Amino acid sequence: MAGGTVTLNHLTKRFGSQCAVDGICAEITAGEFFSLLGPSGCGKTTTLRMLAGFEDPTSGQIVLDGEDVTHLPPNRRKVNTVFQHYALFPFLDVRANVAFGLKYQHCSKKEISQRVGEALDLVELAPYQRRRPAQLSGGQQQRVALARALVLRPSVLLLDEPLGALDARMRRTLQVELKALQERVGITFIYVTHDQGEALTMSDRVAVMRSGRIVQVANPRAVYDEPADAWVADFLGVSNLMDAVVRTPGNGTRPCRVTVRSFELDARGGTVDVAGQVRLAIRPERVILCGFQESRANLIPGIVERTVFLGSATQVIVHLAVGVTIQALADNASEAASWPPGTPVQACLPADSLRVLPCDPAQQPGESRQAEPAGEPASAVSPAS
Amino acid sequence: MTAGTVTRAAPEAGLSRAGRLSQIRRVRRPSVLRGFVWLYLLWSLAPVALAILFSFNSGSSVTEWQGFSLRWYVGDPYYSVLHDPALHAAVIQTLRLAVLTTAAAVPIGVLFAIGVHRWRSRQASAWTFLMLLAFVMPELIFGVGIFLLFTNLLTIVRLGTTAQFLALVAWNISWPAIIVRARLQSIGDEYEEAARDLGASSVGAIRRVLLPMLFPAVFASVVLVFAGVIDDFVIVDLLSSNAQSQPMSVIIYTLGAHGGSAAAPALNALATVMFIMSIVTVAAGWAVYRLLTRGERHRAEGLSLSAFTGV
Repeated sequence: MAGGTVTLNHLTKRFGSQCAVDGICAEITAGEFFSLLGPSGCGKTTTLRMLAGFEDPTSGQIVLDGEDVTHLPPNRRKVNTVFQHYALFPFLDVRANVAFGLKYQHCSKKEISQRVGEALDLVELAPYQRRRPAQLSGGQQQRVALARALVLRPSVLLLDEPLGALDARMRRTLQVELKALQERVGITFIYVTHDQGEALTMSDRVAVMRSGRIVQVANPRAVYDEPADAWVADFLGVSNLMDAVVRTPGNGTRPCRVTVRSFELDARGGTVDVAGQVRLAIRPERVILCGFQESRANLIPGIVERTVFLGSATQVIVHLAVGVTIQALADNASEAASWPPGTPVQACLPADSLRVLPCDPAQQPGESRQAEPAGEPASAVSPAS
Repeated sequence: MTAGTVTRAAPEAGLSRAGRLSQIRRVRRPSVLRGFVWLYLLWSLAPVALAILFSFNSGSSVTEWQGFSLRWYVGDPYYSVLHDPALHAAVIQTLRLAVLTTAAAVPIGVLFAIGVHRWRSRQASAWTFLMLLAFVMPELIFGVGIFLLFTNLLTIVRLGTTAQFLALVAWNISWPAIIVRARLQSIGDEYEEAARDLGASSVGAIRRVLLPMLFPAVFASVVLVFAGVIDDFVIVDLLSSNAQSQPMSVIIYTLGAHGGSAAAPALNALATVMFIMSIVTVAAGWAVYRLLTRGERHRAEGLSLSAFTGV
């Protein structure tokens, strides 16, 4: 199966006076696992429905493999959807469900039987093919929905939060399976989710959406380590944010020098060449907690407020002398994990991990940023939260 | 309290007097209310039971039991339901009206429900409201209105079977319209969308996915319309012309009121036939409906008739 390229040109959808999708542009390459990530109401599901053909765009264009499909009905597009609640036909068994769409592809009975068998083997559900959907578990139903869509050999597969209805363990298993399936089958997957962990684990590229606009498009590592603005930094994983004033803007060689209250810090990440009011962001796992006697660069003193045992690590909440409370992650076996509340500490914010983010969104260099070309294998990123 | 003693639930010490009283009352069973319900049931069903009983009476008395016989059904060559032409015709007319009305009203009602469901606007809700009118409007008003319509305006339609049929269809469209619409709303749009996503046209999606899923609701509508037409009186009486167009309900009323005692036991038999028809229709329909929807019942709804009627 050959994957499809999808181009969205200023796609807009208005419902009355409300603008659900506000002129988004994106280029999705063939065979890519592309995620639309964002909070509820950001327009990602509406975008997916427009791609599938269930909503008519107010303006803009959808181009699939070079063909303008903006106003084509859903049954004429080479696009198939896996719905959030699977929508398996309850009065048909698994085999008949998977074979449903093949009737419209004018296949012979033998061919139908063969393709259905292949699809069921792909999702490993051949032993269950005579069961009704009601007799299957959530994960099995989801796989039937996948098989039903994939048997039609679409160019693009749209997935609308397909793992939302499953428990956490099933979700983790299926995330890995889905990714493996996509690599095996080779078609383009467009995946909608509000779960940033999911998006980071599976995608080749992530498009972060907010209020109908795409705020950043990049591969998972870039979106996580180099968020475009404070909102993205806060949405993906946990971010410690604080306000600062730039003392000396940086450039390629020297870091940006900022002032937070009376403390001076060096920052190398983010947009170092701006001036004025900025926000600083640092991930909890990059914060180094040290004792009161130590001396390093970029140190701010503070007091431990409390520690939270997360299972794999310990979260230490520190109230800094600059008036901001930050989270730090400490290894369970380290000294920092056992400091009681009230212990005076120092938080080291290494310059390489400290990002400068513009305060005003208008200062951003552009709507979408592509840090690396698509097609590079996605490395597994484990977010902090 | 030591272990081993049996303690009875006593009202909490902290409650007020009213609170404690209500706690005590809750424990006692409502026997007075129950007795009242049984009395009412007995009072309303006793006449029916008597009529059925005396329809099997071997003599022509309706007060004195003279022995068991099927005389009034098939035996008596002049007065039995099988042989008396008027009674015989009445049975045929009832069945004819029931079948015709069901065959017309259910498809129209189902198509209406599907159409209104897709047509999302304020106009659509106005049409739905119109469908609900049949449930709240007295049948007499509707019947008189239709009667005036056919006698003054649409005089091309003469009183009789045709008029009865048209009026019954108009009156009964509401059943499938409401039941199927409710079912559609609980089904949601996902299945149709999934079908279209997989390659079906709009019509194909309805045919291959929606209609099979609606089958229990359509079946329930068929049963209710059929049983409703068997029992109907007001409309068919107002629009009947001669003895040919009088179904069972009208004949029982007419002959019972004016006919005298000779016809009485045969009328009991006729009434019993009508009663059995209704009961069998509803019971069989109910059983089949539960069979069809057995996969969907998870909550302890039990024998919830409301699920069946959609009300």
